[in-house]
Formats: sequence, C-alpha cells, structure tokens
Amino acid sequence: MSPSRWSVCRVLVSITLVLVLLIGLYAALRFLPDRPVAYADPVEHFKYGSLGGERNMGFPYWLFAVLPEVCPDLLPGQGYASLGFIFEPGHDLPVGMSKRRQLGIDRVFLNCAVCHTSTVRTSPDAEPMLVPGMPANRLDLMGFQKFVQACVNDRRFTPSQVVPRIAEKAGGLSLLDKLVVYPLGIHLMRDGVAGLLGRLRFIHMQDDWGPGRVDTFNSAKGIFQAPFEQLPPEELVGVSDFPAIWSQAKKQDMQLHWDGNNDRVEERNLSAAFGAGALPRIIDYAAMARIEAWIATATPPAFADHYPIDKALAARGQAIYATTCAACHGQSGKHFSGEYVGKVTPIAAIGTDRGRLDSYTLQLAQNQGMLYSAHPERRFRHFRKTYGYANAPLDGIWLRAPYLHNGSVPTLWDLLQPAAARPAHFYRGNDLYDPQHLGFVADQSTANGHTLFAFDTSRPGNGNAGHEGAAYGTSLSDSDKWALLEYLKTF
Amino acid sequence: MTKLSRWPRWLKIALALVLILGAVAAVVGYNRFLRDYGAAQFDNPADRFKYGSIGAENDSGIPYWIFYVLPRVFPDLLPKPGIGYAAFGVNWEQGQELPIGFSKRRIGFDRVANTCAACHVASYRSQPDETPTLVVAGPNHTLDLEAFFRFLVDCAKDPRFNADTLMAEISLAADLDLIDRLAYRYLIIPITKKTLIAREEQFQWLYRHDFPEWGRGRDDAMNLTKYFMIRWPMDDSFGPTDMPSVWNLKKYQPENGQRMNFAGDSHDPYSVIIDSALGLMGAEPKDKRAFLGQIDWLVDYLKNLPAPVYPFPIDKALAAQGKPVFDANCAACHASARTGTVIPLPEIGTDRGRIDTWGEQAAIEANQVVKKMGIERKGLVEAPLTGYVAQFLDGIWLRAPYLHNGSVPSLADLLTPPAQRPQSFWRGYDVYDQTKIGFVVQGSAAQQAGTEFDTRLRGNGNLGHDFGTGLADADKAALLEYLKTL
Repeated sequence: MSPSRWSVCRVLVSITLVLVLLIGLYAALRFLPDRPVAYADPVEHFKYGSLGGERNMGFPYWLFAVLPEVCPDLLPGQGYASLGFIFEPGHDLPVGMSKRRQLGIDRVFLNCAVCHTSTVRTSPDAEPMLVPGMPANRLDLMGFQKFVQACVNDRRFTPSQVVPRIAEKAGGLSLLDKLVVYPLGIHLMRDGVAGLLGRLRFIHMQDDWGPGRVDTFNSAKGIFQAPFEQLPPEELVGVSDFPAIWSQAKKQDMQLHWDGNNDRVEERNLSAAFGAGALPRIIDYAAMARIEAWIATATPPAFADHYPIDKALAARGQAIYATTCAACHGQSGKHFSGEYVGKVTPIAAIGTDRGRLDSYTLQLAQNQGMLYSAHPERRFRHFRKTYGYANAPLDGIWLRAPYLHNGSVPTLWDLLQPAAARPAHFYRGNDLYDPQHLGFVADQSTANGHTLFAFDTSRPGNGNAGHEGAAYGTSLSDSDKWALLEYLKTF
Repeated sequence: MTKLSRWPRWLKIALALVLILGAVAAVVGYNRFLRDYGAAQFDNPADRFKYGSIGAENDSGIPYWIFYVLPRVFPDLLPKPGIGYAAFGVNWEQGQELPIGFSKRRIGFDRVANTCAACHVASYRSQPDETPTLVVAGPNHTLDLEAFFRFLVDCAKDPRFNADTLMAEISLAADLDLIDRLAYRYLIIPITKKTLIAREEQFQWLYRHDFPEWGRGRDDAMNLTKYFMIRWPMDDSFGPTDMPSVWNLKKYQPENGQRMNFAGDSHDPYSVIIDSALGLMGAEPKDKRAFLGQIDWLVDYLKNLPAPVYPFPIDKALAAQGKPVFDANCAACHASARTGTVIPLPEIGTDRGRIDTWGEQAAIEANQVVKKMGIERKGLVEAPLTGYVAQFLDGIWLRAPYLHNGSVPSLADLLTPPAQRPQSFWRGYDVYDQTKIGFVVQGSAAQQAGTEFDTRLRGNGNLGHDFGTGLADADKAALLEYLKTL
C-alpha cells in the first residue's frame, strides 16, 4: 500500500471513530440523564414535584398530552379537566402530576397532590381557591384509569395517528423522536398500562366511584397480584373518600386510615406512595422527605378568613362539642387530645357502612409485612386488621365534605340528622361551598358546565347509616345542632 | 523446569493478575454463594420456635426473592381465593416479614426454608371479627401443606418461571446489585427451577387423582418419610393424619411402653423431633453439632411447654359432674397405664389407611439412614403396626378435628354414634365452636376458608371409637364440659 493510501485509510478510520464517539456521546446525553423537574417551594414541590414514580410507570409527556385529542369521545368533556384534574395558570400539567427527564424523554406520573388537593368557591362568582392538602373531591380517579386504559387500547392509539399530533403540539420532532422514540414509547405505554391496570382490574367489578373517592386497599392488593375474581365479593366494595393530610406530626401513633390499620405516619406515607408508582426500588426518598416535612405542620385554611363566625353561638356549641364529640374527635381543631382519639370504634358501635372495613383483610395485612423487605429499616411492620373505624381529629373539617369514610353524607348538618333523614341521593364533585350546612353544594346536578356525579346511598359501599344516636349528636335539638355547627367552623 | 526469574516480565505480571483475580473471584464467590451468615437469634423461646432456623435453608431453601415473587407471578396457581402465602392457611403474625414456620437465612444469598412451627402452631378465634390467637405447639389445622408442596412444583413447571418474568417482578421490590442480578438470572433461577421440578418425581403421589386431597391441617406423614428419607418407590398406600400438638412432650414415658406418632411408630420425643427435622432439611445436616444442639433445645422446650388452658368460660359444676362420667367411660384408655400405648385396630375400629403406609422394613431402613448420618437416637419402632395410640388428652379442646385422620369435627360429634357423625364438612376455619368443642365446620365462612372433608373418601373414614356414644345426653353434656378442663 502506498503512503497516501495509508493516510486516506487512517483519516477514514479516524472519522469513523469520531462519529461513533459523537453518536455515543449524544445517546448518552440524550438517554442517560435521570432528572426531575424540581421546585424550591415546598408547596409547589407537593403539587408538581416528583416522587420517582415516573421511572416505573411514567407516561411519556407528549403521549399524555395528546391522549385527550386522540380519544376525545372517551372523556366526559373537554380534556383532563373534565375528569376533575385542576390546571393552574402557567402550568402545562395538572396539579398532582410531576415530570422527570428519563430514558431520553420527559415522563409524567401522578404524585400525592392529585388526591390531596382541591378547589373551593366561597360563592358562585368567586374564583376557585386552590387548597393543598384537602381531599381531591373533584377528581374522578377511576374515570382517569378507565380513560387511559381505553385510549391506549383504542385502534387510534398507533404511531401513525399519534406521532403527527405530537409533532404538531410540540412544534416539530427530531427524526429520532419521530421514527424511534415515540413509536417505541407508544408500545411501551400500552404494555405498561396493561400491566398496571391489569393489577388494578378490580375496578371493572365495581360501581363508579364518582369523584373524590378511591378503593385504597383493593389497589394495595394489586401489589400482590391478588386474584380478584376469586376473592369474596364483600371484599371488593372498599371505596372511600380521599382524606385530608394536614397536621401529620400530631397524628403520629394514632390509628391512621379510615379503619385505623396503621399507626405510623411514615409507613402510611410509603404505603400511599405505591399509589403514585413510587415503588421501593425507585422511590425518591429525599423528595418524599420534603413532602413529609410539609404535611407534618401544614394547616387547613381558616373558615373565618372566608365567612363570618358567630362567636357567641360558637361558644355555646363548644360546650356541646365538649360533652358530645371531644372524647373521640379531640378538644378542638388544633388540639387532638381525647380518650378515644385515633382509636378504633368497633363496627357494631359506629354502625357505618362496612364495605371499606371488609375490603381490608387479615391476609392483606399479613402480606404487607413483606413490603420494603429489601430495606429492613423501612419494612412495613405496623399494618393490622381492625374491626371498626378510627376516630379522626377534625382539623379543617369544613373542607372535608362529604362526610363519613365513604363520603355518603353531603354536609355536617346532614350528619347530625338521624340516618333516615339524611339525603338518599345527592351530587358529588361541586366545589361551590355551602357555609350554612358545612359542605359542598350537593343538590345541583351541574357545576362549571360539568355534569356532577349522582351519588346513590343505596348502592353497595355507599350506605349513609351509622354515626347516629345520642352519642353522635343526632338527637340534639336543632338549636344545639346549629350551635355545634358554628363551633365546628373554628376547626 | 525453567526458573521463575527467567520468565518474561509480562508473563509474571499476567500470572500475578490472574492469581489476584482468581483470589478475588473465590472470595466473592464464597461470600455470595456459600458462606453461611448464621441463623437469626431470638431471646424469646416462643419466637425461636416460631422463626428460628433449623438449618433447612441449605438443601431445601428457596432463594428469598424467588419465594417473594412466586405468589405474585402465579396468583392463578394458588389453591384457594387469597393473597400470597396466606392462601395456604399459614399462621402469619401481622407485621412479620414471613409466616410462622418460615425462616430466612443468608447462605451466600438469602434463602427461605421451613421450621417445625409451620405445622405446629395453632390459631383460633372466638368470633369472625377478631384477630386469631396463636398457640405455640398446637396443631396447625389451617395449613394446606399439600397445596404448598404442589404450588412450588407447579410454578417451576410453568413457562412463566423464567428469568425475564421473575426478574421483572423482583425489580419492583428490590434493587439487587450486579452480582445478585447476574446470579439470579443465570444461576439461581434456572437451578431453582430444576430443583423444584425434580421434586415432582418424589411428589408423584401428591398428584394422584385416585387419592383425595390431604386438605387443611393434615399431611401424609409416613409416606413423606418413605418417599423422601428412604426413597422407596411409590406404592398404593394413603394415610393422611392430623398435624399433632407437640406441647408437654414430657408426658411420654418410653420406658413404660408408651409410643409416639398416631400409630405408635416412634419411640420417644427425641427421635420424633430428629426425624421430623430431617424431613424439613431434605438432606443430611451440614453442621451436625449445630443441628443436634437445636434438637436438644427443641426437645427441652417442647417437653416443658404446658398445654393451653381452655380460654372460654367453663361451667365448673357441670364439669365436676362430668368427671365421674369420664372416669367410667374414658379413663381406662385416656388416663391410665394404657394411655400412650397402641390399642389394637379391631378394638378401636378407626380408619386403617395410616397403618398401611408404614411398616417394619421401612422402620429398619429409615433407622439405618439416620444412623449413617452419625446421629444416634432410639428411632422408629422396628415392628409391624397394629393399631393406634390411645392419646393423652391434654389441651384436647384445641386438637379438633378428632381421630388420627381428623375425620370428626368436634368432641360432641365424636360422642355421637359413627353413622350419625357429619359425612362432609369444611376443615381449616379457625372460629371456635364452644358448644360442640371444635371449630366451626359448616356455613359459608367455613367453606370460604376451608377445604372440604368427605368422610366417604379413602383414608377419611370416620367410623370407630364409638366409646361413650351411647351415653345419656345429660352425661354427654357433663363429659364435654369436663373435657374442656383437660
């Protein structure tokens, strides 16, 4: 070979090497980073920050974004907002969704705030006020699960139909994205959704939950791939209200969850994080710690900042509260001491619907002892089957409507009536507040142009009986009840 | 041979590197595959009994992460509606990582195996809405052991038992390091699959369609010994018996001719505990001294552990009336020199299936096997089996269902003439029936929790032991009340 040929050859080899290196570098920069969108403010972090759940189940951002356009007919209205997701100005994602750059794309998934943040309108014309930490009483989580499942399995969910929409929305896609990343993402998302919602397939054996509710512990059985078809039917009626999550530091050692099945805040939190896809292997402990620090001391907004309170009437109500309610529900909205606070009242005594109680089984509690076993210091040790419902402190109770664990009683006024006098049918999902009866307006079938969910207390799991009788205040005189209600406005 | 100093420098360096790498690989390999990190220690004897390793992890241990994901990958292979291993009716204290009778030990990697407590802790509840009370050394009447054996083999035979599927599920729960990931994928999962499938050969009789299920709370104990310890070919015998209670073992006095096991086939507590433990080990103990040390502890613990006292109210006056009835009708066998000795089958008349599963030659061979391991014990009785042992009745209230094969649900049923005893019922529900003295065996809850027991099937006969069945109702009531006090 002549020297000149040699040098040509060398140049070619060098160019090839450089090219390979460059491509490798690009691929590494593109596909290796694992970086959440971060927020300095703890409340912003709570609303939009990542817990790590995107790493497992995260939807590619653009697929999530175009899904409502691909399958508009599978939604009750316009976009995700029609499922009760809340969009704040200046945010492309709803409250309760976080974003993380991983595997070369932006991925999104739910976080804690999706179930624990909502809005309140203090009058028909008022702007909705966003309240972090309150139950997400507008969110139709089952509707969301069913929508995602139906759309990714729809014939329209194909690269040829979806990728052009993404290109249009994103203002153009690179060749790599167009030909490889998103077509692959579509297949992976279909697989991922099939896997996840296969584990949660019990939802197809249940009535519509309606907004503001979830079946927590049948979902938890999904972790164990429970054979739902074989489980006794009475286990499968476990739907209950999203809870408020304020003042957690004061709730340590109380029996937490509606049935009081765990008395450790941190274990309860890790358990709830499964719902946000944050599995033991991928959970972001630092991000979780920030949320835990915030909910330890977060407090509900004061009723008095939005409506007047009759102080004299409230003072009279305080005396009634002290004798009728305080032993189980604590001294006040800030002081939770009381003989039975945070303890379980047996089902025979409380008499409320037993669906949620029966959905949590001894077998599930036993299996939960295996969770986090790869991290012995975090392994779940405190889940216990109980036989009643826990007496919860009442901080921010005005925003925790509808009432009882299953959200079967629309207002506190209704809760003070004997069960037979409580509304048998009402509407859930309105954020317009009723400051007289304490609860959300429940007798209107629409709000903000959305059709609201008709709640039927005769359906399984929806019973509105119980928490009734002299010990529960339902036989007080009307004037005493109004006084008691006035006092509860101070919580 | 050339002198080392004449070797080229590069060769020396390469050789040194190979040696260093080899040494590192050996240390890592030893630590990650073979090294026994020891059993977890327990201060409390009850916890030691419930969770302490007896060393079975060595040969019959299942790698922890495989054990962890099996019920999640194969929920459809679980025997009963239920979640995870709870579906087998194991006793499982809430907040514990593993059910009672399951021990975890790191021998290179974490492994799970069984202990005596899997079959010898009982649970009961006074009503459905109640957390079960557990009684150490009581019979585990809820455990479906046969279904557990079969589940492991069925999983291994299933095409889903492959590294991709199992690793995907494991990765949801644990972040294994590189060595573990590679080890699981290329060694542990394939080897476990092979080992479990190999069990099928020995488990053949568990798959026979002409035999009924053991059902909850029973095992075909001597056939297990026959097919595992002495490796006899499968014969046509079938004799499942109740899991026995193992408390208060000091009551057995071998020197007075008392025998252990339902058919009197073993000499003394020491022998029975060794043989049962060897069954769990699946092979000769790796560390014989540690093994025998654990056996000594078990013997001492179980000899001195008292039977549980009846936890519900007793009508003392009525019980006092029952005492003479007992003395007149039961004491001759159950509180006399005959207690603990073999009653000839013609006299007792109960199902003979259990007797036919074992015999003199089997005992001789089994004793030889244990002796070859260098373990000295009095061992199995080298004589033909002729009947069943008249039981001591300590803690009899918790030992339902009754007779050696668990064919009679309650003491009240046992006092009814054989033809009138329940023909079929549900075993394995732990809510207690204080009237009949036994567990609740009928109704939807019992059906949901239990397995059906049909007394017309092979080995399940409920005839015989018709003693006291002709008593007047008042005498029976008094006798039942008295039996609660034992």
